[in-house]
Amino acid sequence: MKILVAIKLVAALDEDFEIREDGCDADPDYLDYQLNEWDDYSWEVALQLAEKFPDKIEAIPVTVGPERAEAGLRKCLAKGGERGIRVWDESLEGSDPMVIGHLLAAVAKREQATMVLAGTLASDHAYAQTGMCAAAELGWAHIAVVSRLDLDPEASEANVRRELEGGIEEELAIQLPAVMTIQLGINEPRYASLRGIKQAKAKPLETLTPSELGLSPQEVGEAGSLSQVRRMYIPEKGQAELIEGTPAEQATRLAEIIKELRGDA
Amino acid sequence: MSLIVDGQSAEHVTRILFQDFSGWMIFSFYVVAFTAIAVFAYGCYIQIRKYHRGTTSATHSGLAGFRRMLADMLTHRGIKRRDRPAGKAHAYIFFGFTLLFIGTSTITLQYDILHPLLGIRFWYGTFYLLFSLTLDIAGLWLIAGLLYMMYRRKWLAPPKLNYKRPDRSEADPDYTRRDYRIEDWTFLWALIIIAMTGFLLEAARLVWLQTDPSVWDYRWWSPVGAAVAYGLKAAGVGPAAGAALRMWLWWGHGLIALVFIALIPYTKVKHILTAMVSLSLRDDKPAARLPTADLDANRIGYSKITDFSRRYLWQVDACTKCGRCHEACPAKATGYPLSPRDLVLSIREFSHTNLERYALPADEDLTVLGRGLHQVRAETLWACRTCAACVEICPVGIEHVPMIVEMRRALVDKGDMDPAVQTALQNIQNKGNSFGENKRKRAAWTKKLDFPIKDARKEAVDVLWFVGDFASFDPRYQKVSQAFARVLHAAGVDFGILYEAEMNAGNDVRRVGEEGLYEHLAEANIAALAECEFKHIVTTDPHSYNTLKNEYPQFGGVYNVEHASSMIQRMLETGVIKLSGKLDRRVTFHDPCHLGRLNNGYDAPRDALNRIGAELVEMDRSRDNSFCCGAGGGRIWTPDPIELQKPAENRMQEAAAIEGLEVFVVSCPKCMNMFEDAVKSTGNEQKIAVRELIELVDACMQAGTEQPFSHDVPETA
Ligand code: SF4
Ligand code: SF4
Repeated sequence: MKILVAIKLVAALDEDFEIREDGCDADPDYLDYQLNEWDDYSWEVALQLAEKFPDKIEAIPVTVGPERAEAGLRKCLAKGGERGIRVWDESLEGSDPMVIGHLLAAVAKREQATMVLAGTLASDHAYAQTGMCAAAELGWAHIAVVSRLDLDPEASEANVRRELEGGIEEELAIQLPAVMTIQLGINEPRYASLRGIKQAKAKPLETLTPSELGLSPQEVGEAGSLSQVRRMYIPEKGQAELIEGTPAEQATRLAEIIKELRGDA
Repeated sequence: MSLIVDGQSAEHVTRILFQDFSGWMIFSFYVVAFTAIAVFAYGCYIQIRKYHRGTTSATHSGLAGFRRMLADMLTHRGIKRRDRPAGKAHAYIFFGFTLLFIGTSTITLQYDILHPLLGIRFWYGTFYLLFSLTLDIAGLWLIAGLLYMMYRRKWLAPPKLNYKRPDRSEADPDYTRRDYRIEDWTFLWALIIIAMTGFLLEAARLVWLQTDPSVWDYRWWSPVGAAVAYGLKAAGVGPAAGAALRMWLWWGHGLIALVFIALIPYTKVKHILTAMVSLSLRDDKPAARLPTADLDANRIGYSKITDFSRRYLWQVDACTKCGRCHEACPAKATGYPLSPRDLVLSIREFSHTNLERYALPADEDLTVLGRGLHQVRAETLWACRTCAACVEICPVGIEHVPMIVEMRRALVDKGDMDPAVQTALQNIQNKGNSFGENKRKRAAWTKKLDFPIKDARKEAVDVLWFVGDFASFDPRYQKVSQAFARVLHAAGVDFGILYEAEMNAGNDVRRVGEEGLYEHLAEANIAALAECEFKHIVTTDPHSYNTLKNEYPQFGGVYNVEHASSMIQRMLETGVIKLSGKLDRRVTFHDPCHLGRLNNGYDAPRDALNRIGAELVEMDRSRDNSFCCGAGGGRIWTPDPIELQKPAENRMQEAAAIEGLEVFVVSCPKCMNMFEDAVKSTGNEQKIAVRELIELVDACMQAGTEQPFSHDVPETA
């Protein structure tokens, strides 16, 4: 069986950054790209399963993104796995989780995968939707925020644990095929050595376009998205003021501030 | 000169080897002797075959190494260190045994080789008498040394000879060291019995041949034998009983000695051979300059016993369990699951179990990393601080640190390591520094200075200051960096830094075992340095200093590198640094491993302290016996478990025992980090201040300061 693991190269902000001119994203000059932290954990889940059942399970990392996203695939392949898949062309710019989910679903069908894993969320946009969108598109069972996964490749269902609020844990059985999003701390991800990353360059990466996956231009990019970013901005920070003086002076100043804020002054 | 009494023939003053033996006795003796030699030879073959199952990867120092070994052996300079009585006793045993062995061999040489083949005889007359006297003295030495060792093992019982293992629990099948204890005592008893039966035999022969003047007249040439002979005579033993006794003792002594020789390659006695090989082959900078690796190979590091270099396989067999490393190891001292002695013994037992077989076993029996019998556990390897206290004190030249790092390389290749270390390495991969800070901030500490620091990428400088990660980003140590800049500036030194072109120097990355990242860092820094014009490099960080000086040459970066402490010492000596105050304080100095043990930088910081007027009181463990702060080998990135004492706390308590100590002086950013914590966690911060040598010099340079030292950290803002 094949386990597809959706990964994302996320943008990390410098301390002092600026917003892009169109006001819809951070200026790429100030961005550093790294593999999404959650994806380290979901890839580790898949790798451990593949190592436990070496002839039965194949783990494949897949990403949607421009060429730089290959760094994320290489990091995964440095730890294990034999090949990776990247989906991209220009038309994908501005796609929302719905579109990405659609693309992942198409890859899952093409690969005849039995399971799709994704991180619970990506640390940059934090939508926490992509995995679920893929499940909807595939019509598969799905569980979010998984903190433990037991799988027997021969069985028709998997056992899953989730942590709920207030320290409660929940155990579920889920019918396969299925989509799951993985929570941090489910395992201890291994380290990708620089040597491993360099050697992973020899492993094949397949590059697919949306049309090769059977998606028309209307189904991708902004056209195919259900939501759009209208504006991205840095909210003004409130400033604290220490009111000093006698109680009477303090009361007067407080009253002034209240008036100011109400726009009375 | 002849020592022979007039009228006697020198030819007759000798010992007749098989006197009064029947033909079948002589025949039986040769059968036994040749069997013993065959067993010995077969044992050597098995051992050498075992060593040859290792690789040839590591380098060695050739003829110079052989000469160094001879000097080690003849002076006993290694064994005497930190345990003079044991070293001397060993010298008595060693020289006694060696003389007796050579003496006995000369008999064989004449009797079985030179005489039958060439008709040459020399073992009579004056030569024989001197020989006899020498061997008697040698026998006495041997017995004296052995008696002391027995006394030491049984009654002195130093803790380092306790075989309790920190890396296993009693439930583990390989916990027990019972066989070793039996072997230790058998070895001592066997040797002492051989020596004593030798003297008895000598005495019995004298009693037996007391009427033969060519024997009896020369009895005092074997004084111990003669004394014992008088004892026998006093006890009523006559010539006939003497003859019978001599026959029994001859066989008894001979058989035990032959069995002893036959068993050399199979027992701890083999250290007399393996130690010579180990000492000859050892690298002279085993911890300062780690071996390179082939990054394109399928695997990296040591995960199988056959990955070990042959030299290391020889070395683990040379360990005498003397416990000197066990005693010196900071990880062991503070309760971590590591003892360099037990690590070496695990590898030895593993190689003994799996590599002495006729055929090489399958791969799973060669995997040396794991939790099984005699395997090395990951937590043992990660506990090491690569401080080299073990390497430095080992009398047989075992190189623990490169072995540990090679095994770590295999763990890193599998991605198996502490998450905190992963984060640090990730940061270095992504940003070039372990703090995960933006590259552009590397020189942010310079903003607080009231003069600019030259950008060495843009203009030529005399001195290129390689700042290093901790000195750039650690808020406490930034103050030291600023102080060093002020010192250089005031002394009129033409210096500059690399700004954001500098990356982590990689010393600790390499010691963690991330060789790929290390090479990347070294190459990037070498490329950055190649763009600059400078005469020499200085750094305040002993870790960067070590790798720049000793390891960058492996990648083509050859520089003249100096540590800040020696540069400051020189500037004080030549008067380039002008002091306006003295440090009238009682201080102690903590030797950083990478400056002291790894690079011999013991004297410069001490001399600098003297020159600024400090009263230096040494801790018990100082200079080559300095006790690591615990930060080396990547441990700076690994949180220590709270239930264990930190090495730095152990050290701080040692310092706190010094009457009236006011300042704990460090000379390394990582030591600073460790001891600033330890001084607080041991409750000493009211009493003792942790200061960098540079800060103290800077304070003494500040004009108009009456008392250039306050208990608070000097404010440099
Ligand atoms: S290098 Fe230091 S910490 Fe590591 S084993 Fe040797 S003495 Fe112990
Ligand atoms: S490794 Fe060296 S120092 Fe340690 S016990 Fe063995 S011989 Fe002694």
